[in-house]
Amino acid sequence: MLSHWHIRSALLALFVLTYASVADDTNRSSGLPTYRSTVSEVRVTFFATDENNHALATLTKSDFAVVDNELVVRNFRSFTHSDETSLDVVALVDLSESVAPRFRVAMSDVLQLVAREQSIPDDNIAVLSFGGISSAILCSSGCRASDSVSKLLAVKSSGTTPLFDALIFGADFISHHRRAGARPVIILFSDGNDTISLHSAGNALEAVLDGGALIYSVDIGTPRNPSSGSMFLRRVSEATGGRYFSLRDGAATVLNAVLEDLRASYVVTYALPSHQDGFHSLRLLPTHNLNLTFHSRNGYFYERSVR
Amino acid sequence: MKFTLLLALALSSVSVALATPIGIYQHGTVVRMRMGDCALMHRGFMTTFGPPQAAATEESCPEYTLVTDKVVFLIVGKSSNQLVPLAEVIDFRFQNKELAVRVDDARKESKFAIKEMTLRSEWELIQKHIENELNDPPHRPEDTSLTLRSRE
Repeated sequence: MLSHWHIRSALLALFVLTYASVADDTNRSSGLPTYRSTVSEVRVTFFATDENNHALATLTKSDFAVVDNELVVRNFRSFTHSDETSLDVVALVDLSESVAPRFRVAMSDVLQLVAREQSIPDDNIAVLSFGGISSAILCSSGCRASDSVSKLLAVKSSGTTPLFDALIFGADFISHHRRAGARPVIILFSDGNDTISLHSAGNALEAVLDGGALIYSVDIGTPRNPSSGSMFLRRVSEATGGRYFSLRDGAATVLNAVLEDLRASYVVTYALPSHQDGFHSLRLLPTHNLNLTFHSRNGYFYERSVR
Repeated sequence: MKFTLLLALALSSVSVALATPIGIYQHGTVVRMRMGDCALMHRGFMTTFGPPQAAATEESCPEYTLVTDKVVFLIVGKSSNQLVPLAEVIDFRFQNKELAVRVDDARKESKFAIKEMTLRSEWELIQKHIENELNDPPHRPEDTSLTLRSRE
């Protein structure tokens, strides 16, 4: 399954676009020379926030540099606003026993998200849950219908936490329902503590990166006791180019941030700086103003055979 | 007379020494950046003589390769969030065995430990070698047995 993601991610070239121009066979037969060229290009979607954690609407290409597998890149081929104009949102909700004390508040946030008609069309929002040993689809396109709302209100928390498996499930779901021009976003309501998954945290992160979704996590763990779970939520959010929130921030703040980030997103492209196989780490850093923080996924896979 | 001359000489050398570090910046470009361990910065008593857990901190510090005309420096930050602005050209100067980089549009400086210094010519040779290795990995010996058999 993972290798399938791997290949798909390479072929779809989310980040490494490979063009090969091959001359016609007719040229060969007529004795004309054939010219072949291979150009590898990296494409990164990102947004920047200021010291107050607000997305920056205006940015220039001299404001940042990309660190690609340790190499600093400043020469960009292109720099434009992102063409993503809408959202594909999956709310992924932890229903395990460990979040029981704050579970009702989390569900009320999910219902608020679902109710925001003006921000997300009905077809573009789904609610998935996980608890016990499996994940489930609570509603998909049609979450605002009365029977779906009743279903969301009726859920109860119990059992263990298959968080990593659920992330893979969520990534798979969102990549199968992807629409052109829509940004895939997973809003993860969890305490970040996995207790039973078959897959590892690394597998889960790889699946989400392959699916191209951004994770906005809402920490529903104990607020005064930052745990390894909180750390995981922060890491997985940063790694995908999303953000981390606590439960007290509320649904409106989270959704506003998701929308603000969408509007303030840019796409930068540059020549592949090294043809090293495997995972290329990515980091965008400021060139002048060190108060700026850049949010993008933390890497991509490159395979030489894709050339 | 001799005392006055010595005093004047001493005063002038002090004023020169005080004036020297201010405003004399060198220029360079950061070409690489990685997160490394903070061992160079945190070599405290507990790290050296304490239990193994004391040394095993999860924090990582940024390492930058700063290229100048003649020398290439490997500098290390003191904490995970100590950043160098990655502009085309940055200004820096030496201060007490450290490298002070001008940040935030010249309003302040940020100090980095110097981990390594290499002559630029040597560094370029090493980079070229690495690049060649990456672009053209050493050929594996081919299995010729099949070819030989088919010829037979």
